[in-house]
Amino acid sequence: MIAHPGFSIGLTVACYAGALELHRRWRWIPTIVVACLPIIAVLLLVHEPYATYNRGGNLLTWWLGPATVALAVPMYRNGLALRSALPRLALIVFIAAAVGMLTAGGTAWLLGAPRDVILSAVPKSVTTPIAIEVCRQLGGIPQITIAMVILAGVLGATFGPFLLGLVGVWENRAVGAAIGSASHGIGTASLVRRSEMQTTASSWAMAACGVFTSLLGALLAWFIR
Amino acid sequence: MFDLVRGLAIVVSIFLAGNWLHAHGVPIPGGVLGLLLFYGAMLTGVLKLRWVERAAGLLLRHMVLLFVPLTVGLMDMGGILSRQAFAILASLVVSFLAVLLTTGLLARWLLHPEPETRKIQAAQ
Repeated sequence: MIAHPGFSIGLTVACYAGALELHRRWRWIPTIVVACLPIIAVLLLVHEPYATYNRGGNLLTWWLGPATVALAVPMYRNGLALRSALPRLALIVFIAAAVGMLTAGGTAWLLGAPRDVILSAVPKSVTTPIAIEVCRQLGGIPQITIAMVILAGVLGATFGPFLLGLVGVWENRAVGAAIGSASHGIGTASLVRRSEMQTTASSWAMAACGVFTSLLGALLAWFIR
Repeated sequence: MFDLVRGLAIVVSIFLAGNWLHAHGVPIPGGVLGLLLFYGAMLTGVLKLRWVERAAGLLLRHMVLLFVPLTVGLMDMGGILSRQAFAILASLVVSFLAVLLTTGLLARWLLHPEPETRKIQAAQ
């Protein structure tokens, strides 16, 4: 029964729904962590390997593709609201994407990490579905990328606006562009209660940073082949 | 309901088109190609935002569900994670700070003040 894909999907959806409920009550609980722990516990309990679970899991993972496509909607809608600032924001976010990839990969390389870990670090600033694609294309380990992406999001949501304030960045679109580029959706969600313009700039920057990172990632993949 | 199904059908078709392009030699991942196609289609008015808004909202709202199965895979990675914990965390923090601060400072330098901000300053 456990080997049936329906079982994995049912278990995953149930754990996700439970995690959402907990998150609704206690905001600080990260949905992804609370959703994964019971699944891992069940698999360990019944001695099933991850590969068996993932036969059904894969069917959910596939939908990350359409979810990436769906990012065009906030990008388009928020792009309209940013109007004349858009070309400059595009340049800024492009530089952000390059800085993120270079510093993440470069630091791991300087610390002597193996090749697959370095490559997993490269796309760590961008939204999960795009980060996974870029990681796979480069030959990294998607799970390491996911863990880093989530942590980058939490860092930005927790300390982002404070750190920007320290260096004198207050302007709404500048804050949004910085948080969206560094901390994707998790950072963006934390701005919703602060300012509408910050949220708009952040959602746009998150999608744009994903696009630029995958363009640069394709270039890098070709280069290191 | 019809709205949702129509939206999902559009989004999935665009994703498949992106995948097809990727399989035929475009080096960018299929999902991102789809995103660009979709963005272009909305800019040119080929697709209307309201046809896809609900489906896109659903996918984006529940995106966390979609990456649960991959994240569960961390259970097999205790070894490499603990051996490389320092490199992974250092790379994360350094890169996070670099992106946040360069972007914020560049944006402060390059963006003209928002119209509302300018008005407030003029009034003072």
